[in-house]
Amino acid sequence: MAQEAHGAIYDLLAVRGVSRRDFMKYCGYVAATLGLSEAAAPQIAAAVEKGAKLKPALWLNGGSCTGCTESMAQVDTPDVATIVLELLSLNYFETIMAAAGEQAEKNIADTIAAGNYLLIYEGAVMMGEDGNTLLVNGHKGKDILEEAAAGAQAILAVGACAVDGGWIYAHPNPAGGIGVQSFLDSVKVATPVVNLPCCPTSPEWVVAMVVQWLLVAGDDPAVFLEKTALLEKKYHDNYRDADVSLLYPEYIVGSTIHDNCPRRGHFENGEFVTEFGSEEEAKGYCLYKVGCKGPQTYTQCPVTRWNRSVSWCVNSGAPCIGCGGLNWVDNNAPFFKRLSSIQMGGSLGNVQPGSVGAVVGGVAAAALVAHGLGMKAAGRIGDGPPIEEMKAYDRKRMAKGGDK
Amino acid sequence: MSSQAHYREAHPLVFVITHWINLICMIMLAFSGFYIHYPFFDGFMGVARGMHFVAMFVILINLTFRVIAAFFVKTATDLGSREVDTDIKNWLPQEKNKHQFFETVKYYLFLRKEGVISAKYGSLQKISYLATVPLTYLMAYTGFALYGPTADWGFFMWGTELVGGPMNMRIIHYFMMWVFILFTMVHAYLANIYNFAPSKIIFLWKETEH
Ligand code: HEM
Ligand code: HEM
Ligand code: HEM
Ligand code: SF4
Ligand code: SF4
Repeated sequence: MAQEAHGAIYDLLAVRGVSRRDFMKYCGYVAATLGLSEAAAPQIAAAVEKGAKLKPALWLNGGSCTGCTESMAQVDTPDVATIVLELLSLNYFETIMAAAGEQAEKNIADTIAAGNYLLIYEGAVMMGEDGNTLLVNGHKGKDILEEAAAGAQAILAVGACAVDGGWIYAHPNPAGGIGVQSFLDSVKVATPVVNLPCCPTSPEWVVAMVVQWLLVAGDDPAVFLEKTALLEKKYHDNYRDADVSLLYPEYIVGSTIHDNCPRRGHFENGEFVTEFGSEEEAKGYCLYKVGCKGPQTYTQCPVTRWNRSVSWCVNSGAPCIGCGGLNWVDNNAPFFKRLSSIQMGGSLGNVQPGSVGAVVGGVAAAALVAHGLGMKAAGRIGDGPPIEEMKAYDRKRMAKGGDK
Repeated sequence: MSSQAHYREAHPLVFVITHWINLICMIMLAFSGFYIHYPFFDGFMGVARGMHFVAMFVILINLTFRVIAAFFVKTATDLGSREVDTDIKNWLPQEKNKHQFFETVKYYLFLRKEGVISAKYGSLQKISYLATVPLTYLMAYTGFALYGPTADWGFFMWGTELVGGPMNMRIIHYFMMWVFILFTMVHAYLANIYNFAPSKIIFLWKETEH
């Protein structure tokens, strides 16, 4: 392998079969995610090469399916993301750490005691049954988060569940899953939280934030908040009945999927897939009619893409199900219908807005026809009815003796 | 009531024109809106959206003009009369509408035989005509909250967050279309139930004597 002299990181990369070119390309994606031009790739590469000092971090799981971890780890193809993340010293990472039992617990306690660490939180904060819906070694998940969050420099809430409770938060939410920011509001912990959406979140976004933190912000929360273009979004947490304000990286949630979608040309031309497995689908037509939520979903999926930028939902033929939005399941189910159903509750179940419209319109049309027949029967058609001589109100008053 | 004459003073030419523009825009908006809601044939999305976007600006300008004109143009105070007063007065409740709301409802429910005394517009008519103004602006608000170039303006973002996201905003916009469809159905029905003299004046500007 004819490689020039460079930092230890290339040896690591070489071992995993990643070429220098792949690495530069990857730094380009990261640059794009950070809203920088690809020209910034060499700087990012240089910074990663220098191998900033290992940054202590905790990766805690709340109520989660571990999908975001899977998405990060991509165990069958360890790649650049994994290596960049090796800039972090992940002292606790439930799914993939070697430590177990008391040693693992101790790693958390030691990290918190030493301070100056980053917290990455995956999954919903489980509030149901007074927090007993998630217990780790006898401790409530929410208490572990509270303690770890209070001492952290900053928190990355990764994936829809950590953002606002994700699918666990969906109606009727019996386990009481809520988002990290909402929970921290309730316990008055003010550590800044940056939210990374989607189910699962994109590894490149996590990497971009780590790069931003270590290399651009120089490990300083104030500089990080100042130098990262952040966008604020508000929502109402129904479980806590409180308004919550979330911070997102602007470049990740600043435009809709629909705005960046490669099928957009077919959308404008009015070329749609109406049925899966059809000729239209084979032609790569737009998935709007089969329920694509791209027009209402503000994430950068078509730009970053997934699995090392190979593909993403719409590219692979699946309509976007809107997992990058807030309260995403309630707002987007059924996934293959254009609009979400309205939850009527009780025996009425869920109905589509289109059905409501058609029923209301039909009933009104029928009522008008019936009324028209009534008007005809009452002999009012033609010249109209004879008009009263005096208002009913005045007649009544006269009968009572009129004005005094 | 319709045995009265219908004179041009009831609807001066400007309002015949604003009414035409309203009607044409509404048809364009509802048709393109239905199409955007669910493209029921191929090849029209670009045109449908373009049509929606043109008509939405036209109807807003037209409505704003109509409202301002109401303060300057004079219209007939009564059906079958050429006596005029400032148009806005004929839109807001007048002496002749007082105490007549429930009587009008009773009349339409066949609970009384005689027609009710009313100004040029009856109380129900006034309520629904007045309601079209805020409703159209609200429609525009929900529409601009979906419209790419304006959706991220703080003013619209505030509403989107209030209703729980862009999906809910789309559903509200969609439901409001049905409100307009209902209005137009009931409005066209009631305006023409006795005979077509009211339509002759509002569309063709043609007077009728009875
Ligand atoms: C039946 C009548 C017509 C049809 C069906 C028609 C159709 C079209 C179409 C499909 C395009 C391509 C638009 C695009 O994809 O961007 C086009 C472009 C254009 N049309 Fe027409 N057109 C018609 C009449 C006219 C007339 C009467 C004029 C001018 C007097 C005209 C002037 C133009 C011009 C200037 C362009 C832009 C060409 C370019 O720069 O590429 N068209 N037309
Ligand atoms: C008055 C100002 C209006 C504005 C600014 C407006 C704007 C919009 C916008 C931006 C969209 C989304 C288009 C897209 O994403 O491609 C839309 C959709 C729609 N509009 Fe309007 N509109 C207005 C009035 C109306 C009216 C009067 C009607 C019906 C009478 C209507 C019916 C609809 C419908 C049915 C949709 C599709 C909703 C869906 O199912 O997604 N709009 N409108
Ligand atoms: C099928 C469609 C329609 C028909 C047949 C129709 C018919 C009429 C008629 C006959 C009148 C005169 C009523 C009278 O003098 O007693 C009128 C007035 C009026 N219509 Fe319509 N109309 C239609 C659609 C609409 C639509 C879509 C709108 C707006 C959303 C609208 C808004 C009004 C208003 C505001 C007036 C009061 C007149 C004025 O502007 O000064 N109409 N219409
Ligand atoms: S597939 Fe979805 S995101 Fe892409 S153009 Fe169609 S509706 Fe928009
Ligand atoms: S394209 Fe849609 S469904 Fe797929 S990850 Fe992005 S937001 Fe989620």
